[in-house]
Amino acid sequence: MSPVVVVWQLTKWYGPRRAVADVSFAVEPGEIIGLLGPNGSGKSTIFRILTGYLAPSSGTVEVAGFDVVRDAFAVRREVGYVPEDAPLYEHMRVVEFLRFMAQIKGLRGRAIGRAVDAAAARLDLDRVMNLTAGKLSRGFRQRVSIAQALLTEPKVLILDEPTSGLDPHQVIAVRDLIRSLAGHQSVLLASHVLSEIEKIASRVMILLDGTLLTADARATTSTDVRLRARISGSESEVRTSLAAISGVREVSVEQVAAAERHYLIDAEPSDRVRAEITRTLVARGLELTELVEVRADLEQRFLDLTRRRSGKAAA
Amino acid sequence: MTAFLVLLLKEEKALFSSPIAYAVMTVFLLLMGYSFTLTLFLSHQPSLVHIFFQMFVLFMLTVPLITMRLLAEERKLRTIEVLLTSPVTELDIVLAKFVASMSLIVILLMLSGSYAVVLAIYGDPDWGPIYSGYLGLLLLGAALVGVGLLASALTANQMIAALVSLSLFLLLWIIDSFGYLLPSPFDALAVNLSLSVHFKSFAVGSVYLSDVGFFLSVTLLTLFLSVRALARR
Repeated sequence: MSPVVVVWQLTKWYGPRRAVADVSFAVEPGEIIGLLGPNGSGKSTIFRILTGYLAPSSGTVEVAGFDVVRDAFAVRREVGYVPEDAPLYEHMRVVEFLRFMAQIKGLRGRAIGRAVDAAAARLDLDRVMNLTAGKLSRGFRQRVSIAQALLTEPKVLILDEPTSGLDPHQVIAVRDLIRSLAGHQSVLLASHVLSEIEKIASRVMILLDGTLLTADARATTSTDVRLRARISGSESEVRTSLAAISGVREVSVEQVAAAERHYLIDAEPSDRVRAEITRTLVARGLELTELVEVRADLEQRFLDLTRRRSGKAAA
Repeated sequence: MTAFLVLLLKEEKALFSSPIAYAVMTVFLLLMGYSFTLTLFLSHQPSLVHIFFQMFVLFMLTVPLITMRLLAEERKLRTIEVLLTSPVTELDIVLAKFVASMSLIVILLMLSGSYAVVLAIYGDPDWGPIYSGYLGLLLLGAALVGVGLLASALTANQMIAALVSLSLFLLLWIIDSFGYLLPSPFDALAVNLSLSVHFKSFAVGSVYLSDVGFFLSVTLLTLFLSVRALARR
């Protein structure tokens, strides 16, 4: 199956400021992609380009086979979009707003009522259908915004910070809803909350300062495997001993217990290095009680990637 | 129903569910009713020429109130992002807002039509200037709504939109007075940009193609620029 979203060398300038720099990625049908990055990293700009709201400065973006610049109108038919902060018409009742959105999305006749009822039931909006948007809590505003995006069962659903402002129960409900869409619709989800992305997305992309640091943060690379060692003895001696071993890149203290320290060793993942570590420590008379391989979680990957990027920028 | 009609219905509901539309109608009818009665009793002439000139001024003062929220509010609330990521065009959005605002102008003109009815009942008015006056007011209203809509498309602040359009209206109202002070060819340019110069002939019963063309050109140009302003993102 061909990808439903293809982004190739996308760059966006706002005047002299580059908001998105040479970003490329693809989204397969049915995938749930999490776009993770701090505020201002370019997530919303990428989403606005994917929905045809903003034009790219350079690069190409295709959604459901349509170019977002040449066929912006066709792209809008294929995309359901939940903007950040859920903008709604304050004077409209929820039912009016959903009917209005269904109509401008091209639904006619009885299909309007059916789509509105289905979206309201899915997002549990029955209690608030006759309230004006101005009277809704933040949680309900967010749910109404998600409901409008689901009205036409679009091929691609784009959600910009969909759980911001929701209480824990609502967060779980929205998370379950997004999970239920997997396989039917492709979902792109932006958040700066790492745990949220980790729980929902099947693939996580990390964005910093408009640059895509990785298109799959969960994919393991050699730098993601570290060694955790419990060693008794002077820290300086341990560090000196480990630093002398070829293949060991960095040593950090993770935890200090009474007589021993837990070290995290960033090293080449090979049997040779592990054997060399054991041999060196024992030869120096240091007591090694544990040496295990640990794989970096998403949080660690995020910190590593952003730190590496900041280091490069500083250099 | 096409996207345009759906948007138009939404705009009509927004306009007539806000107090601004009723405030404008009330002020308009009170001032015009007073002026009409006074003029009629003083002059004893079955004519609406004075009323047309007063409506001309009142339109310039009230149209900014109608148009200021049109696009500025959408930008401020960011609902424009919801609209423009749906399958509707910028032209649909601009036209729906223009037509909805024009409906209020038409209602004001129809309500003021009662003055012509009074004249017809109690006198024998010359209908030519009345028809041309209403045509002139309709064309003027369209041009003013176009300028107001453009001002609203350029900012997210309603007050700024209202002030910009009001300033432009006042400038275009009195620009012919400056024209007489300017050297050629700027004098002719200033006079030809004047709203009052182009409206005057309608109010006294003459319809010139150049005047019709002026108001239509301003309307079409401002609608085109509003669409461009909305498309510039």
